[in-house]
Amino acid sequence: MIESNYEREFTAIAKEYEKSGGNVSDFLRKDIVSIIVSGNKVIGKNTVDSVHVRAKELDNGVEIWIDIDDGTVIENPIHLCTGYLKPEGTQDILIHNHLGDRAKVKFISHCVFPSGVNFTHSMVADTDVGKHSEMLYEDTHMHSKDGGVTVKATYNTIVREGGSFRNLFYLTKTRVGKLFVKMNVSLEKYASAHIESKVYEREDDYVEIDEELYLNGEGSSGIAKTTVFATDRSRAKIINKAYGNAPFSRGHIECNEIIKGDSVEVGTVPELYVTNEKAELTHEASIGRVNVKQMETLMSKGLSEEEATDMIVRGMLR
Amino acid sequence: MRDQKSPESYTGNMPGNVDVINRTYDCVDANGGMFMLEVKEIKLVREDRKILNNLTASFEKGRVYAILGNNGVGKSTLSYVLMGLESHKDYEGNIFLDGEEIDLLSVSERARKGISLGWQEPVRFEGLTVREYLTLGGKLKLSEEELDETLSTVGLKKEYLDRFVDESLSGGERKRVELASIILLNPRVTILDEPDSGIDIMSMEMIKHVLERLRDKGSIVIIITHREEIARLADEAYLLCGGRMLASGVPEEIVSFYRKLCDSCQHINEPVKEGGLAND
Repeated sequence: MIESNYEREFTAIAKEYEKSGGNVSDFLRKDIVSIIVSGNKVIGKNTVDSVHVRAKELDNGVEIWIDIDDGTVIENPIHLCTGYLKPEGTQDILIHNHLGDRAKVKFISHCVFPSGVNFTHSMVADTDVGKHSEMLYEDTHMHSKDGGVTVKATYNTIVREGGSFRNLFYLTKTRVGKLFVKMNVSLEKYASAHIESKVYEREDDYVEIDEELYLNGEGSSGIAKTTVFATDRSRAKIINKAYGNAPFSRGHIECNEIIKGDSVEVGTVPELYVTNEKAELTHEASIGRVNVKQMETLMSKGLSEEEATDMIVRGMLR
Repeated sequence: MRDQKSPESYTGNMPGNVDVINRTYDCVDANGGMFMLEVKEIKLVREDRKILNNLTASFEKGRVYAILGNNGVGKSTLSYVLMGLESHKDYEGNIFLDGEEIDLLSVSERARKGISLGWQEPVRFEGLTVREYLTLGGKLKLSEEELDETLSTVGLKKEYLDRFVDESLSGGERKRVELASIILLNPRVTILDEPDSGIDIMSMEMIKHVLERLRDKGSIVIIITHREEIARLADEAYLLCGGRMLASGVPEEIVSFYRKLCDSCQHINEPVKEGGLAND
């Protein structure tokens, strides 16, 4: 529910939230867990049985704890919305997610910084996924059009035995500014993970993404994937790593960087490390313009080069 | 019905100008004559090899043509040249559509003139649904009824509209989606590169139905094939060898010639004068 003295602030954030694809009415429903942060204030919060939400305001941000009881299955996603409406400043968000055993939950997180000219958002999300639990964490960002936003996002996750974790990061609809994403996942016995980042860079945007999979448990498996569409004078550096430390663990890392124009600067480094002879790791990487056959296919149906590129990239970044 | 629209008005939407793809073509030329596609003395050389060698042919509205030939004789190359793919624009000779030379037109421009290519191996598109593919991301305005009915024609249920055109579809399913896409574009010239590849033999009736439908709409249909059963579905057939049209006629005769001589030919891509059919 929205705190009465923050209604105007909520309205402003809600407007941006909707632009990023969110449904604002979900924040007003009593059966949906939600937290709305603006600057260093929690301006709205709601929870349901078996989901325990706690928040503490910091000097420049908010620390949040979300504990989900064993066996909890939540039909509606948990909504997190973090906003910052002023052009300058910093915001620190610390999130601690603990998902009990045999639970199933989906998080939808939106970060909206529509006015950032000289603004830095730092976020660290520590997540513990219980045994045989399933968790999806989908994080969508909307930044200002000036490119004055810097985001440093770190996701540290442990997936316990038989658990499953999926983490998706999207920054495709607005300018990026500067983005530093670090995702690392440690997987126990028979746990699985899929971590993925999708970013569309414009003008002089800069992106650094570092995804790491630690396959520590027998039979664990994981995929780390990054897709970047770099245009104009943008730059990107992508590092995907996988560590095969247990028997029958399987990991795959993949990076696709699609470039448009001669002024972009992008690079990718795949790193695979194995300490167990029964582990199996693979990687795939590509840098180049949009696939020619895909382009020709759409152009042979009447789309212009620009329209075909847009359609292909839109699909890839979805 | 004849229409006195200029060729430009058929295209309606040239790249960059509009959002909606116009597919209301009229298969009559600007002067009121029969609409035709003419290919004159096309040559394409790759690494000193003549892939297409003085190839000449003409195609009329509302007829289905089979281009029959062994692997490597230039069949797919011909389809790429007709479509104007960037990698195949360095050909010599001329292509006329409705009396208008189209050699300088890009792929998109040719498509907007009403030429369409059904690919032999349709490519995958990550993140695009069948609906988006068929409607070109919403640029082609189609009713639900049209989409359902067309999918049904190619043997797919409407539930496929929400499927992704990625590796979750088999090669045969993607091929069916490609055929549906061609039908919905309602082209003036349809080039189908091996329309049966990836599709089981039981689906011959479906392919026949697709061809009839395109023909009934007045499209020139050019089927690239090496299979006799497919060639027999055409009204006329050309035999391609060594990058040139070696013979043309009713499909049964061309198929018979193909079976008799081409199947066991020791001169692949070096047509010899046999039975008076080679036309050096």
